[in-house]
Amino acid sequence: MTLSLRRQAVARPAGRSGSPQRWRVLSLRELGVFYALLLIWLLLSAATIGLGRPLFLQPSNILNVFYQSSLISIMGIAMTVVLITGNFDLSVASVAALSAALFIELSAPWGVWPALVATLAICACIGLLNGAIVELLGINAFIVTLGTLTAIRGLVLIVTDGRSLSVDDPDILLWMNGFEGGSLAARPALCAAGLACLLLAGALGLRRRRLGARADASPADPSPAGPDAALLGSLAFGIALLAMGLSCSAHARLALPVLYVAAMTLATWFVLRFTVVGRRVYAVGGNPEAARLSGIDVRRYRIAGFVFSALAAGFSGVLFASRLGAINPTALQGGELTVIAAAILGGTSLLGGAGSVVKTVVGALVLFSLNSGFNVLNLGANYQGLIEGVVLVAAAAIYTVGSQRRGG
Amino acid sequence: MVAPLLDLRGIVKIFPNGTLALRGVDLSVQAGRVHGLLGANGAGKSTLIKILSGAIGATGGQIFWRGEPVAWERPADARAAGLATIHQHIPLVPTLSVRENVFLGAGGVWRSTAALERRYAALLEQLGYEIDPGLLVGDLPIGQRQMVCLLAALAGGGDAVIMDEPTASLADEEREIVYAAIRRLTRQQNKAIIFVSHFLDEVIELTDEVTVLRDGASVLAAPTARLDADALTRAIVGEQRGAAARVARPPRQAGSAPVLVVRDLRADGLAAPVDLELAHGEVLGIAGFLGSGRSELLHAMLGADRAARGRVLLHGRPVGRSVPEAVAAGIGLVPEDRARQGYVPGFEIWRNTSLPRLADFSWRRCLPRRAAERRFAEAAVRRLAIKTPSIDTRVTALSGGNAQKVVLSKWLAPSTRLLLLDEPTAGIDVGAKAEILALVRTLAADGCGVVIVSSDFEELIAAADRILVMQAGAIVGERRSAETSVHELVLLATSSGGARAA
Repeated sequence: MTLSLRRQAVARPAGRSGSPQRWRVLSLRELGVFYALLLIWLLLSAATIGLGRPLFLQPSNILNVFYQSSLISIMGIAMTVVLITGNFDLSVASVAALSAALFIELSAPWGVWPALVATLAICACIGLLNGAIVELLGINAFIVTLGTLTAIRGLVLIVTDGRSLSVDDPDILLWMNGFEGGSLAARPALCAAGLACLLLAGALGLRRRRLGARADASPADPSPAGPDAALLGSLAFGIALLAMGLSCSAHARLALPVLYVAAMTLATWFVLRFTVVGRRVYAVGGNPEAARLSGIDVRRYRIAGFVFSALAAGFSGVLFASRLGAINPTALQGGELTVIAAAILGGTSLLGGAGSVVKTVVGALVLFSLNSGFNVLNLGANYQGLIEGVVLVAAAAIYTVGSQRRGG
Repeated sequence: MVAPLLDLRGIVKIFPNGTLALRGVDLSVQAGRVHGLLGANGAGKSTLIKILSGAIGATGGQIFWRGEPVAWERPADARAAGLATIHQHIPLVPTLSVRENVFLGAGGVWRSTAALERRYAALLEQLGYEIDPGLLVGDLPIGQRQMVCLLAALAGGGDAVIMDEPTASLADEEREIVYAAIRRLTRQQNKAIIFVSHFLDEVIELTDEVTVLRDGASVLAAPTARLDADALTRAIVGEQRGAAARVARPPRQAGSAPVLVVRDLRADGLAAPVDLELAHGEVLGIAGFLGSGRSELLHAMLGADRAARGRVLLHGRPVGRSVPEAVAAGIGLVPEDRARQGYVPGFEIWRNTSLPRLADFSWRRCLPRRAAERRFAEAAVRRLAIKTPSIDTRVTALSGGNAQKVVLSKWLAPSTRLLLLDEPTAGIDVGAKAEILALVRTLAADGCGVVIVSSDFEELIAAADRILVMQAGAIVGERRSAETSVHELVLLATSSGGARAA
């Protein structure tokens, strides 16, 4: 009570006065994960220079971090949606492992495409089951998905009979190699993406100016004050991508999983930000009862969140199987925690109603940059858990303290 | 005259952004008296309570407690000095027993049940009210929770208790219990009570002195005996508005088909199936206390209660039995608990107001158009005179009355054909109340059906054309509001016809 009173007392002035509100989009709370990524990259670069090792911050290395984080990012994007609806999914890594095992097991007799469709359909059913138990029976999502985490890992053991499965058929291996190991020339791809971002920024800027002119003419059409997050974001992304594209060597390659992540991020971001469905997802997590009384089918949205999460996990599993051409029954164990850590680093609230898929992907990049940095610096894996845990708690602390200042 | 227990002189509060919340408040509270504190939303009551309870500091002026100047830095300081505050949203632990809640703040390492039991009995004696200490707070009705709060305040050894709208969510019966406790505490125990309320009648009946705040200053301080409701209303709203109890009633068109027909509606909270009709342009009031099934009836009509069965026809067409279908048909519910059920706290005003009909604001019902949503929010802010810096403000930053107006404005569109209002004016100041009731009449005149549930029967008589009285899950009476009185409605709602639900 005390705390909340203080919070309000401090929050109100900040909300009303112009400048803190105006620059909120650049605050530590809003962009903390981007700052963290830059800081880690700069620190690791400084360390590599100091130790006389190959520079950390070079395009090939960064592209590699992108590639390594792709599986976790795909699951993280869906996890963010589940968290926004106010739920929780611990079962993703088990589902991914099951998907990998099923895909390998089924692709030999059925061929690749039927196996892919069947695998994803089974994953969707698992998501439906998770969602139905949580929403229709009203059991806490943490408990339900802890149960499915264990049960599905057990299913993986049954499917694989406790042994490693591997693909023998050369045709299937070839398909897998093309699906997962394929790549594009990095320079043109990155430059094109960067230019697209800059064009988007330009379009947003023009639209804003036009709206602004109209708002001056008639106050009935108000537009928000301060810089627009979408405009600044696309500008910054455009510049970063262009810089990376121009600086990488002519034969650097961009792996396909990175493209999958980019496509999925873009699509989910668009849906969450610009569509009716996206707005309702946030409303469902922000206040389920208010959303329900506003005519939103809360259960349907939440169940759909679980299905999306399981599908994304299934897709990750297929990628994983394709990467190795094999699956071991303990594969990806504990991966769900990394996925949730990425979402939390990205500022997603465990209480629901807030979160951003772009930031989750950046959160995954932070985790894998640390990972890669340890390799570059030749620090033993022993330190890794400690540092990652500290980074996670520090991030959560920054978000919590930041939101207390801001209030609401 | 005895020296006051608590004396405030010229309290000024300027927030860091320059907002002048209090511009010189004087308040003088005697031991053994009930002191009423009144004011419209935004008049500075909440700020004053926060300063008194030590949650925030004053910018200027002086506070004297037992004649000594004090400056409390933490709520704990105020409590230690003997000034307890009961906030509007009751901070109790629902999973602990009444006894544990009452002594939650008590220090010491060991808890001796016997000692607590003795102290608990002594407290009950002070309060003159019985409540089983072993019950879980989560199982108690809200009125009893209020008493638990009062007990906890007394257990801390408070000589003065600030009660922030203790009766806002209580039924009349439960109010009487709180009043009796307050009278006993002041007359027999010589405690001082600062009683914040929006109900003028209870202030007149209960308090010994009254201070009225308006625009951050105390504009009236007098013994209650010298005042009446008219004088208080004038002081609260200023000269421009005056008494707004009666709401203007535009003439009704006669002879058109009913807006709403409900047939054989059954739900868990209803003891008997409900049939009712709502004529074109009519406002139907539902009078009943807590537990009478009034909210259950509204939720059943909306289809929010999945177990509910029966037929609801809107303009002759049956409405599907789910909330999405009901909302699509044009039924809107303004729920009782606006923070829990009414708005999304993380959304700005404009995102909240467009939520029920988001698809209507969207390109091809798929991509929301911000400009349209924002225009709608701006129009609502102007139409309902919502006090807010901008439509980008979060609803959580608004006062209760303004937040309620935001929840109401979610449904202010031509597509809304039936509006169900559950206690729409609970915890709202006189001005906002009158505005909301006037809006209700306008909506009804425009052809939107309105069903309004309230435990403020006077308000129902003022706003509704016809009143159904509910008791223990059944409709027990029907009156035309022109031909009834608060007295008669209370009698109907409490008479021994059926067992009263606790």
